[in-house]
Amino acid sequence: MTDAELVARTRDGDADAFGVLVSRYYEACRRFSYHMLGDRSDAEDVVQETLMRAYRAIARYDERDQFRGWLFRILTNQCRNAITARGRRTRRFVQDEVAIEQAHAPVAGLQLGTEHVALARAIAQLDSLQREAILLKYAEGLEYTEMSAITGVGESALKMRVKRGSERLRVILGSRDE
Amino acid sequence: MTDNTLTFPTPDEDEVLGAQIAAMYAATPAAEAGTADRVARTVLANSMHTASRSALGVLRPRWWWGAVAATLLVSVTLRPWRVVSRMVGAGASVNAVSNGAAVAQPTGMVTLLSGGDEVRFDLTLPALAREVAIVGDFNGWDEKATPMLRRNADNSWSARVPLTPGRHVYAFVIDGTRWLVDPLAPQVPDSGFGPSNAVMVESATQ
Repeated sequence: MTDAELVARTRDGDADAFGVLVSRYYEACRRFSYHMLGDRSDAEDVVQETLMRAYRAIARYDERDQFRGWLFRILTNQCRNAITARGRRTRRFVQDEVAIEQAHAPVAGLQLGTEHVALARAIAQLDSLQREAILLKYAEGLEYTEMSAITGVGESALKMRVKRGSERLRVILGSRDE
Repeated sequence: MTDNTLTFPTPDEDEVLGAQIAAMYAATPAAEAGTADRVARTVLANSMHTASRSALGVLRPRWWWGAVAATLLVSVTLRPWRVVSRMVGAGASVNAVSNGAAVAQPTGMVTLLSGGDEVRFDLTLPALAREVAIVGDFNGWDEKATPMLRRNADNSWSARVPLTPGRHVYAFVIDGTRWLVDPLAPQVPDSGFGPSNAVMVESATQ
């Protein structure tokens, strides 16, 4: 069954159809938010919030769009909100600073293979907008037109973010090897 | 004679980096089996829950949440609950009676989430559970309204709940039958239905 058919069934109140959509895209959303936020709990919260918003807004989904792209549009917004809120939360809750501090060490939570640890750490050090562009381009394998539709950012700006992000990654990885 | 001018194309640096990132990304460990299904059920339950409460007029419409979000502050005792050798307060009797065997030593935490209009309840249990739900005055003490999501194999559970300003009381339900309180979280006196934990949400302007 196609995504569009599942969306139509979801709109008609078929909860199982929405469950199939979630099972199709949960892992992709979780992986992206993992690498965006560097914290498993935050990532899972963001994915759940994304799916919640998608479910509530599904009546407004345009079938001409790819469902995955539409979902990722919500997801990238939620990741940005979470990054902003994390700063607020750190100011509000002194005790939470420990958790926030640990959240900056994503590799431990991800349990990646040793061959990927350095790269994951380097990506975590990027500016969040560069990280978003790098992940969408290289990890998700999207074209700039698709990235633009998801992020609402112009293609030229996205190309610049990928370029600068790539350069920064090489610097970080190079300095680590020295 | 050797042709020293013969060259091979050098792989573009960005292509190499992109391939490395793609490989790293693909190697990200997947969630525990069944997680997506649990998330879907949680999303559906929360969505229906919100709708039903709005229909009853108990809560304001969703836009109201956004309006007050900036002023909400959760004044909870945000401390990593220590595991102690004995249970304290009424929670001990609940656990001892309901377990009938080894007394559980749950550890919980309450955290303000992004936007300030939701709270995340985390609970780690010392023994495996099939399902865990949070019940409280915010969901009519309905054991099916707010299922918690298992975080990982260490039996940590989590749920997000939108809370209005004021005191809210809550408890956890293990496997649909066993009611549990976090023994080290703030509690309110037993009002005839067993002990409950309490969380206070207040306006930052108060």
